[in-house]
Amino acid sequence: MFLAIKEMKHSKTRFAMIGAIIMLIAWLVFILSGLGNGLSTLAAATMKNIDGDLFIYEEGSEGTMMKTKVSGAIADDIEGKYGVKEAAKFGQSTIIVHNPKITDSKVNEDVAFLGIEPGKFIEPKVIEGKQLSNDNLFGVVIDESLADKGYSIGDKFEVTSSDITLEVVGITKGETFNHLPTVFVNVETWQSYAFAAPGSDNGLESPVAMIALQGENVDADAIASNYDAIETVTKSDAIMGMPGYKEESATIYMMLAFLFAISAVIIAVFFYVFILQKTQQFGVMKAIGASDRFIKNSIISQVFVLSLGSIIAGIGLTYLTALVFPEGMPFNLDFKMVLIYAVVLLIVSVLGSVISARQVTKIDPLTAIGRVE
Amino acid sequence: MTGLVLKNVTKSFKEGDSTVDALKNVSLSVNPGEFIAIIGPSGSGKSTLLSIAGALLQPSKGEVLVNDTNIGQMKEKELSSFRLTDIGFILQTSNLIPYLNVLDQLLLVCKMKGKVTAKEVKFAKALLKDLGLGQKLSKFPNELSGGERQRVAIARAFVNNSNVILADEPTASLDSNRAFEVVKQIRYEVKERNKAAVMVTHDERMLEFCDKVYRMEDGVLTLER
Ligand SMILES: Nc1ncnc2c1ncn2[C@@H]1O[C@H](COP(=O)(O)OP(=O)(O)O)[C@@H](O)[C@H]1O
Ligand SMILES: [Mg+2]
Repeated sequence: MFLAIKEMKHSKTRFAMIGAIIMLIAWLVFILSGLGNGLSTLAAATMKNIDGDLFIYEEGSEGTMMKTKVSGAIADDIEGKYGVKEAAKFGQSTIIVHNPKITDSKVNEDVAFLGIEPGKFIEPKVIEGKQLSNDNLFGVVIDESLADKGYSIGDKFEVTSSDITLEVVGITKGETFNHLPTVFVNVETWQSYAFAAPGSDNGLESPVAMIALQGENVDADAIASNYDAIETVTKSDAIMGMPGYKEESATIYMMLAFLFAISAVIIAVFFYVFILQKTQQFGVMKAIGASDRFIKNSIISQVFVLSLGSIIAGIGLTYLTALVFPEGMPFNLDFKMVLIYAVVLLIVSVLGSVISARQVTKIDPLTAIGRVE
Repeated sequence: MTGLVLKNVTKSFKEGDSTVDALKNVSLSVNPGEFIAIIGPSGSGKSTLLSIAGALLQPSKGEVLVNDTNIGQMKEKELSSFRLTDIGFILQTSNLIPYLNVLDQLLLVCKMKGKVTAKEVKFAKALLKDLGLGQKLSKFPNELSGGERQRVAIARAFVNNSNVILADEPTASLDSNRAFEVVKQIRYEVKERNKAAVMVTHDERMLEFCDKVYRMEDGVLTLER
């Protein structure tokens, strides 16, 4: 530590430059993780918000939202059995809506049309207006993102390619589904839309997309064996089954992994060159009696201090950048995640220096003797 | 006996198929308080001798005793900690650490042993003052003259308070006035602190400050004076 700090104080520019590079890498890592987090939240906010312990999907759908259809009768039957406290039906379609009030160029909106039962645990809380009710089957709760596009309480709007007209009764927030704004509706209304074509319900009684279950010790195996044509899915699998979710996350994790590897290599190379430049100095220290460990420790502690400082600066820079990001950018910094990535980055850079520091062993103290320069 | 003793030391280097004998049956003993010089042409084996005496190289044959400790059987790790406590090297001027100030050059040696004590700091400062560097404690090597740098190197060799001091061409890059100064100062410290000291030099004018002079020729050491 003694040598490490003294050297950094003496060669400020050199170390400031490396520090800046580490800081920029850290910055990139945090920005990317924030974007990844924001994107996946956006993709699956509704799914993440549903406080379910287990989900019932159609057998063979592998937890994929787009492919499932189960009988809603199961939800009515299962409550109170197998540890299930509450069961909530859930249906989803993508629809195009048209609000006659809005007359600018983009009059039609793609939205996620989600059928739920009023009063069940998956119903989102409104921030304005009323919740859904069984008295008004065509009243809907819309997400803020749709309200931002001009929809407001009391508006009546049409579902294109059908003769249904819906009325906005409430507005909720943070509920997007597959990157689309959501429109929550009574599940019965959803059914009459989704299964309007005769026979499209596959003969299921009260068909829905899936059923969310809540309970302390829900017995997944018993459920799977007692009902036909279903499979049970955990929440994290259900989120993974959101369209595009897995692919999006994989892309981002891939980039993060590369960034970590690149930063390890950059640090290792920098310090490899440093050590080469200082062979003579280290030779002298070894001649005087420094052990390899003393020299290696000073190199590694230098990287540790430098990386720690740079990563902290990178965190600061990230939060500053977040302030100037335009509204609506899917950027969501999770402090716990930032902390984890910071620690990983620190470990990776210290490992890089450990690899470089190994060559200290090869320096011969004899180089210090008998040289007349 | 304390001090430095070499008994029938031979050192051979392998060069391809042949072996070169850099030292041939060399014996030497230096008592505490004695300041000896070794002169000889380039390539005659002076640095090799100094490296062996300073626990940097192991002899091929013979014994090396420093303060009655036989260093012939030591492993690399033991050798480095032995150098730290029992040997003081005076190296070339270019061998100071560029980013340490004068005082830190000395404290680095203490640091290698562990924590630096207040006593060690006091001793280091006293040494530097002794060598006329009392006003330069916080100067960096590039802010010092060649003679001052070499005096820092001398102080560094004494700071671990070892019994043996070894100097390899300490005046090589100095003009003659400065060279005289530096050698006088080594002599002063050696006598004052009762060290066994060996200086390798090819500058004949420096010999008047030494108690004995040996000549090295093709790996053979002979007493000249
Ligand atoms: N590591 C080594 N490997 C092979 N030969 C060496 C090595 N070190 C020294 N020698 C040889 O030993 C001889 C003595 O070298 P050295 O002690 O450096 O001489 P001096 O210091 O008197 O100039 C030279 O012939 C040199 O080539
Ligand atoms: Mg030499």
